[in-house]
Amino acid sequence: MDPTLHIAGAAALETALNRAFSLDPAVANRLGELEGEVFHLACTAPAIDLYLAPRAGRVRLKSFHDGNVTTSVRGTARDFADLATADDAAAALINGNIELSGDSAPLMTLQRILSSLELDWEAPLVNALGDVVGHQLAEALRGLFSWGRMAQSSLLRQLEEFVHEEARLSPPKAELEDFYEDVAILGQRVERLQAKLRRLAARVPERS
Amino acid sequence: MSETDKTHFGYQTVDQDAKAGLVAGVFDSVAARYDLMNDLMSGGIHRVWKRFTIEVSAARSGQRVLDIAGGTGDLAARFSDIVGPNGSVVLADINASMLEVGRDKLINQGYLGNIEYVQANAENLPFPDEHFDIVSIAFGLRNVTDKGQAIADMLRVLRPGGRLLILEFSKPGNPLLSRAYDSYSFNVLPVLGRLVAGDSESYQYLAESIRMHPDQDTLKGMMEDAGFLRCEYFNMTGGIVALHRGFRA
Repeated sequence: MDPTLHIAGAAALETALNRAFSLDPAVANRLGELEGEVFHLACTAPAIDLYLAPRAGRVRLKSFHDGNVTTSVRGTARDFADLATADDAAAALINGNIELSGDSAPLMTLQRILSSLELDWEAPLVNALGDVVGHQLAEALRGLFSWGRMAQSSLLRQLEEFVHEEARLSPPKAELEDFYEDVAILGQRVERLQAKLRRLAARVPERS
Repeated sequence: MSETDKTHFGYQTVDQDAKAGLVAGVFDSVAARYDLMNDLMSGGIHRVWKRFTIEVSAARSGQRVLDIAGGTGDLAARFSDIVGPNGSVVLADINASMLEVGRDKLINQGYLGNIEYVQANAENLPFPDEHFDIVSIAFGLRNVTDKGQAIADMLRVLRPGGRLLILEFSKPGNPLLSRAYDSYSFNVLPVLGRLVAGDSESYQYLAESIRMHPDQDTLKGMMEDAGFLRCEYFNMTGGIVALHRGFRA
């Protein structure tokens, strides 16, 4: 791929991220804790390699990095989004599909900062639209976002129940675990039987 | 006068002594609207090319950077942010008009303290040996009369381990793209130049000078001949532009 598109994409994403950080300056300043660290984000779908270098108040997103990397993470865009917004980053890393190499502690710090980002829509809206309209719109947005977050989690729960219980498209987790255990036991028994057969075969005298 | 005393000025062959003056005429004419023209001519993509140059430079806090033919200061501003108060950036340009426009622009944007402005010829850089960590030249080398001499002088002012970055128009790899690009350069650029900067000849020169500039492999060979190590280039936008990088041993 021509690097021009890649670089332009990184630049656009960097601008968007920094605009988000500018709406929560307190959290953005905590990025200064990670100054000097470089995170390599190897996204497999879509296939993009990015390097994220935080500093107080903002991040740099680069398409090319010549130097040491603190932490390298590999996964799909969805995996990254899940990790960035997870309540428990360690659990998300262990249970998720992300592959990690390097030092995980700075990555945890970055995740904590990203997940604590509370965007204050009010200041830019009030600047653009005036006190009354700006404030009302910001309130509406806040409501919409918290509703959106609740709706998303309850929708996911309902969807999971429907897939398992109603449509029977996939067995529930407990049933699957039982099945995996049975398979493991069966595997062990086959191995034992094989060993027994080998021992018996050794006792039978070879035909001349 | 012998052939060796001649050089290119676009498609014309001129005396070596005359080229610097002719190039100065071009940039005196376009300096005031240089940024606007760059955006118009490249559709804003020149910012992407320069951004990649900064990434490949791997500049760090505290380093000393020389930006030759720095023009209106796009690269110098980014370098200034990165090297911080403990580092320094020298914005050098042979052309006083360009340097003045660049200096005013950067001061107006609040860049003070770690940037110096020096009017200098790339062939005879007024800096001590082994002084800079990074030397960059973006869209400037093709206007230099003796490119080999300029590259050798860039090597001289670099510290061991320092890197040179040359961002310059180059040769597109795809023949179809090359034809479209030629047609754009010779038909659209001079018209844009006339409409926006009031000067079509200068932009005709820019288009011609791009065609006369050495291609990717030739320029890489020139860097190696000058003594640079680990030379490589990165093609961008189909090879319309290439970034060359080499290290001083």
